[in-house]
Amino acid sequence: MADLSAPQFRRAVVALSGGRTDRPIVALASDVARLSHAELVGVHVVEIDWTLPLDADVAGRSEDAQRVLDIAEATAEGARYQLETVLLQARDVGAAIVDEASERGADMIICGLPFRRRFGGDFEIGRTIPYILKNAPCAVWVVREAMPEEQA
Amino acid sequence: MADKRVRVERPHAAYFRYAGPGQLVAKPAASAPRSRFERQWLRAKAWLIGRPMASEEEIAERLPKKLALPIFSSDAISSSAYATDEILRVLVLAGAGALFISIEVAIAIAMLLTVVSFSYRQVCRAYPSGGGAYVVARENISQTAGLIAAAALFIDYVMTVAVSTASAVSQAYSVWPALYDIRIEIAFASIALITVANLRGLREAGNIFALPTYLFVGLALLMIGLGLGHIVTNTVPVLPDPADVIKPPDIVEEVSILLLLHAFAGGAVALTGVEAIANGVPAFKPPESKNAGNTMTMMAILLGTLFVGITFVGNRFGIQPTTEAGPTAIAQVSSAVFGADSPLFIVFQFSTALILFLAVNTSFNAFPRLAAILAEDGFMPRQFSFRGDRLAFSWGIVVLAVIAASLLAVFQGDVHLLIPLYSVGVFVCFTLSQAGMVRHWLKDRGPGWHWRLVVNGAGAVLTFVVLIVVASVKFAGGAYLVVILIPVLVVLMLFVQRQYRASERQLAVRPDYILRPIQREERAIVPVPRLNRAVIRAVNVARSISDDVVAVYISDDPDEAREMRERWERQVPGVQLVIVESPYRALAGPLMAYLDVLDRAWPPDKPEPITFVVIPEYVARHWWERLLYNQSARRFRALLVGRPHTVVVDVPYRRDEFERFHGMDAEPHPEGAAADT
Repeated sequence: MADLSAPQFRRAVVALSGGRTDRPIVALASDVARLSHAELVGVHVVEIDWTLPLDADVAGRSEDAQRVLDIAEATAEGARYQLETVLLQARDVGAAIVDEASERGADMIICGLPFRRRFGGDFEIGRTIPYILKNAPCAVWVVREAMPEEQA
Repeated sequence: MADKRVRVERPHAAYFRYAGPGQLVAKPAASAPRSRFERQWLRAKAWLIGRPMASEEEIAERLPKKLALPIFSSDAISSSAYATDEILRVLVLAGAGALFISIEVAIAIAMLLTVVSFSYRQVCRAYPSGGGAYVVARENISQTAGLIAAAALFIDYVMTVAVSTASAVSQAYSVWPALYDIRIEIAFASIALITVANLRGLREAGNIFALPTYLFVGLALLMIGLGLGHIVTNTVPVLPDPADVIKPPDIVEEVSILLLLHAFAGGAVALTGVEAIANGVPAFKPPESKNAGNTMTMMAILLGTLFVGITFVGNRFGIQPTTEAGPTAIAQVSSAVFGADSPLFIVFQFSTALILFLAVNTSFNAFPRLAAILAEDGFMPRQFSFRGDRLAFSWGIVVLAVIAASLLAVFQGDVHLLIPLYSVGVFVCFTLSQAGMVRHWLKDRGPGWHWRLVVNGAGAVLTFVVLIVVASVKFAGGAYLVVILIPVLVVLMLFVQRQYRASERQLAVRPDYILRPIQREERAIVPVPRLNRAVIRAVNVARSISDDVVAVYISDDPDEAREMRERWERQVPGVQLVIVESPYRALAGPLMAYLDVLDRAWPPDKPEPITFVVIPEYVARHWWERLLYNQSARRFRALLVGRPHTVVVDVPYRRDEFERFHGMDAEPHPEGAAADT
């Protein structure tokens, strides 16, 4: 049962990292989207470094990249919802997600944040989510995974 | 950075989903029809039997106990509608006074039912993959004993369909005599109806059959309760003699052991269909064995209560046996209890007729499951183990319908001509399964094995005695046909197994055989049904054509696929295996879709590659042998002919080649499949 206090949206871009948070955020987004028949777009970005041209045949030949989207699609189907999937190549993941959301007129970007600490004990948020939080024109919903029991 | 992103095409996404490295799962679009004829055929099929279901939906198709009870027990429970008559018709030969012994006979049969159902409850626990008497006899006595049990069950299931249908139709034309001339057509239509219901899947069939079964059980229990009330309050109505009553003969027989055994054998038809639950354990929701065992107990309690209850109330009400044209014992009891003009009487009679008709459904569930188990063991053509679009064993369902309909046509729908062939098979199975369980306890010696052994031993002796009595009483009337048919079926099944074993021996790949890498240039795709000599030969041919060889294994079973991958990686290193999971069990569609995806993924600036599709094919020598082997190769060929940039390469593997070099009984060549290429 979806949480009725969860944010509402018409069209959301779900940022898929290929990590362990993908399934829970897709399931959660599907539950929420079902209530308002909202549109869900799963976006996975393969970062291309400067040594290769941006249109190098990298993601198309990568089973891993394809699998990230396929698993998200299957998770949404499991939650009885449909997820459109988009595979992008970009120099910067955060920028590509923000651009895609803007272009599609999304009113929400949903990101998953795994709980992790960098060496030394500080919480590690990475650089993609801060970029999205700073630059996204729409609302951003960051879902942090639960803290591991031994650290809680 | 705003324009620094490139959208990547995903040509596979319409048809497949990656489930793991090198592992694709086909989407419904991959099995979509490609020609107009195919589209129309699939549309018609979907209208008739429903949309195709994915293998993962099988668990949702499993039956809860409340649906499993009517679906697997309608045959057994419906026999309470006529078993009392069978006892009375024998006892009347010893005079009207002997009819009172019917209670003792019914109690004895109920005790036999207790023993048999208890035994089958143990079978459900011990053999959760189903199979009933066949599996118990095969595991504990011998393969031949198992096949005898299977043959007997097959005959009985076919007879159940034929007899019950003929009997239900006869109920209809006794009310409307005009229907007599079209009785065969009515029988065919009713068999077709049940066939379609079963092809639509277990759960839907359960939903259709649950209500009539529960209606009959509820009304019968009410009738017994009210009847007991009359007996206790001493208000038993005085019944007039029914029409077509069977009068005792002028010179009555003595109440001898033989007469009692005869009556016992007659009433023992109540036990037909009891074994169906044990055959269908995998159809239950988890925990399958426990749920099947509990359903078996519930069925035995209901059947025993109804049978003894109807016999007891009937006995105290003084009902009499009648000829076929007269009212049955259950009709006499319900008429006396509810009142001949009461709507309850009419509803009850209607529900009785309906449950007799639905008894057919037990066979439609048990026959295909038994056939599937035998097919997996290699005793029947493999097609019987394939699940259809709706996850039902379609081949078994259709074959049962065709044989039963043929029987009805040959015997012109005459119940009396069919009945003598009935119920011998059931007691063959009971005896073999009970004897098998005796040996099981002797080997297993688990907790309580002593008393279980005694129960099953007693059951084996009792059912064997009943078998002898039933077979001898009905022998001249037609049971001799069953006695001939059982060994014929056993020989046929052994023959099929011999054929499969011979082909497996010829196709076997030695476990230590490793395929050496060969460098070639072109792209070759090899659809592989399993790892065998024919496939190895096809792979070698593919490698001689191209250095880019991909084997495609289409599977609906993830466990099988995993095993296949392990074995493939060990035995065929250097040749990429792509596993395409096909939840809709389609073979040709996903293969075609995979070829399309490969073409689309090819860089557009390069010329189109030529794709060699190398099809391994085991060539049967005789036309009848073709029935034993999958015809996928022919389907692939038909679809691939005319496909752009595609060359179909047939790689036949002939039995003659094996024999010419090694002789029929030879072991595989020490060099394994390498010697063949």
